[in-house]
Amino acid sequence: MMDGRIDTDSIAAVPTGLIPGPVQSRLEKISTAKSWGNWAGYVSPLVLDTVEFEYFAIRNQTTLFDVSPMHKYRITGPEAEAMLNRMVTRDIRKIKPGRVGYALWCDEEGMVIDDGTLFRFSETDFRLCCQESMHGWLLDAAWGFDVTIEDESHSIGGLSLQGPTSYSLLDAAGLSAVADMKPFDLREIEPGLWISRTGFTGDLGYELWTDWQQTGALWDRLWQQKQPWGLRAIGSHALDMVRIEAGFMAAKVDFQPVLTASRLGRGRSPLELGFDRLVDFTKGHFNGRRALLKQKESGPRHHLIKLEIGGFKPADGSLIYYRKKREVGHVTSAIWSPTAKRNIALAELKAPYGGEKINDLWAEVYVNEEGIWDKRLVPVTVVTDPFFRNDRARATPPRPF
Amino acid sequence: MSDKFDAIVIGAGHNGLSAAASLAAHGKSVCVLERADHVGGMASDRMAHLLYNPLPRGVQAQTRQIDTVSLSPDGKHVVLRDGIASYASGDAHPDAKAFKTLHARLVTYAALLNTLAESAPPGLDQGLTSLAGLREMSRLAKLGIGVKRLGKPEMREFLRILLTNVYDLLLDEMPDGPLPGALASDAVRGAFAGPRSPGTVLTLMYRLRNGGSVSLPTGGMGTIADAYANAARKAGADIRCGVGVTGVIVEDDIVLGVTTSDGGKLLAPAVLSSAGPMQTMQMAGIPSFDIEAVRRARNLRAKGTTAKLNIELKGRPEFTGLTKEQSKSRLLIAPSVADVERAFNPAKYGELPSAPSLEIVMPDGQDRLSVIVSHVPENPKSGWTEKERGTLTETVIAAIEAYAPGLRDQIASTDLLTPADIARLTGAPGGHWHHAEMGLDQMLTTRPTVGMARYRFGVRGLYLCGASAHPGGDVTGMPGRNSAAQVLLDGVA
Repeated sequence: MMDGRIDTDSIAAVPTGLIPGPVQSRLEKISTAKSWGNWAGYVSPLVLDTVEFEYFAIRNQTTLFDVSPMHKYRITGPEAEAMLNRMVTRDIRKIKPGRVGYALWCDEEGMVIDDGTLFRFSETDFRLCCQESMHGWLLDAAWGFDVTIEDESHSIGGLSLQGPTSYSLLDAAGLSAVADMKPFDLREIEPGLWISRTGFTGDLGYELWTDWQQTGALWDRLWQQKQPWGLRAIGSHALDMVRIEAGFMAAKVDFQPVLTASRLGRGRSPLELGFDRLVDFTKGHFNGRRALLKQKESGPRHHLIKLEIGGFKPADGSLIYYRKKREVGHVTSAIWSPTAKRNIALAELKAPYGGEKINDLWAEVYVNEEGIWDKRLVPVTVVTDPFFRNDRARATPPRPF
Repeated sequence: MSDKFDAIVIGAGHNGLSAAASLAAHGKSVCVLERADHVGGMASDRMAHLLYNPLPRGVQAQTRQIDTVSLSPDGKHVVLRDGIASYASGDAHPDAKAFKTLHARLVTYAALLNTLAESAPPGLDQGLTSLAGLREMSRLAKLGIGVKRLGKPEMREFLRILLTNVYDLLLDEMPDGPLPGALASDAVRGAFAGPRSPGTVLTLMYRLRNGGSVSLPTGGMGTIADAYANAARKAGADIRCGVGVTGVIVEDDIVLGVTTSDGGKLLAPAVLSSAGPMQTMQMAGIPSFDIEAVRRARNLRAKGTTAKLNIELKGRPEFTGLTKEQSKSRLLIAPSVADVERAFNPAKYGELPSAPSLEIVMPDGQDRLSVIVSHVPENPKSGWTEKERGTLTETVIAAIEAYAPGLRDQIASTDLLTPADIARLTGAPGGHWHHAEMGLDQMLTTRPTVGMARYRFGVRGLYLCGASAHPGGDVTGMPGRNSAAQVLLDGVA
């Protein structure tokens, strides 16, 4: 096998435990924290050094993170556009070749199966990147269409270069051709190396895509420009902080992908997750459209919203109360944001709370003061904009920091 | 050419015609489009021969009830009529009493379930806060009360046997032989199942839901199709044969009409399809449906298992041990429940049966044997070459000849329709009698499959009205009638 997985020709070779990703040997050398996690079966760093260093490197320097474990599917064929447009809720005809779009897709009841980024290489050639394994679903979605689905999860590697000095580093590495790329642009910068101006940080950044075998060499090429751009390899903990600052939701954290939820009613619709603008009812039929139309009439059952929470204690998992009495929801993700200097959270509230009713909401926070627990109700404010927003993320050409 | 109607029905089988008659009777303008040059679909002499259910109101044709004779290799054939069993010689059958009790019980239970067949399957998806929801609840309550009225021991028995297999049910009551064999073969005829398959008690009850009597259309099966067509025409429906539907026009998730094989276009806010779910989806375009719905339609169990052999004779054959009158009955070759089960085995592996169970009828006034051969796979491993067709024909003739010596010399010609032929000629998915297996998982609120049980079919204005819809197969016209009622209830047409 030509990718990171172990050849399974002999039973004895069936791997137990996690599989190394394409740059694992490099990560092991620089890891002082030795803190590894499981990402889709691959070893992935949670923290390489300290989460604080890594977080600040994303916001002030540039950082490298191996996103190869992400599920990647190639969808090609004359009806690829039609097939994907029937699957996802937004109108992908508006994503032109050389562009990337964020998309959600639903089951027949309008509940979100997963979200991901859709890369459009040409009129008839797409790649879908997402958290959940989606091969079976894509094959079902493709039935009746003239398309081919290929699982590229183990043959394409990806490196995410994120932070204000990302462009300067790419320039130094001989990849200055990305200079005029706007956010969500996608381009083959060198033969076999595609770069998209995308990321999960809400900051200036790029994702670099190449063959699984070339990913190590690509890492080295960028790593050689470590100085003076302050490049640091990071783990997923720091990334989780910046994605909350950017207001991005995470699958299995802020919503439950409906096909993996075994309990009834755990699914959430795009309307409930706040993605009305990514549901296009005018484009023709798409999966879950009839159910979503009904929900548009009757109104969402929940609202996933951004909150600013009083005090300093991250309110992860806290219950939210209305008028300090009625329980109306809970926090799904929360951190103290070092950049925004605010206590921030994503939370799911039962409608109409978080929708029409946004006043008089309180979070229940438990604080351990040297062995004594104290329960506090702190005020929360509903926020509509991302907690972190900086125009350097969108400036084209990117500013040289 | 463009015409406007209130409703268009795809296919002039008995269900399509029944739907058209219902809609037309309510003052709707209806056009029925049939690809073949004649009406009737499967209700034709070539494909069918008997009725197990009374004709719906308004459909008039001559029929007469006939006996069933279960042939026995030892010559002690068993005659069955309305729960009474005796030997063909007139001698009493030792298991007649057990049979009578069991038959009466099954007929009672089946009548109870039949209340569910008369309209759309009950569902509580509308909740109990609406009038429609309460109406649904009252229907279920009626069934519940009916079950309760049986009395405690019978209610227990009903619930005990409802989901079991017919093999155990029959052999708990009587020793194996042609008598239980007849019931077992009736339970699985048309099904991809053997007597030991779960759910076969339910399929037997389905067969017995109108008392279990068997009627022969005196003028042949074609007169039944014509009667359905006449009823529809009388109500005002426009039936056009030789015009197939090439596509269903959908815009903004609403049906607008159909395109036809003659290049025309007919407009209507309601289109009722008596084709299978997958064929209907393909006509309207796969992108118009949700991914799960397409997956379910793809995975629908519809493996046809019945072949039809028509044997033209030069005279009337004589069956050993039967009087001339008795040989005009419905003759079954199902010597035992175990034999019926064994006959199913080859079909599981794509092979032809070597000892199939048969239903043989001599239509009135014709020198013809009409034979339904159970458990013939739609696509045998070896394919349907002339050799396989010859082998199956020979197997069937030899099986009958064992009871009617000299039959072979009387044969003028044979006409074999395999399940594949039936699929090709009628459009029935898999050539399946019931368009979709009458399994527990494909009945009532899940017929043909989850989310399609109320005849509505995703796109507004598109409905299923064929045998794949509730209550299912057999010449009843009920799926068509129920579907039309749903169209009227929805106010689409």
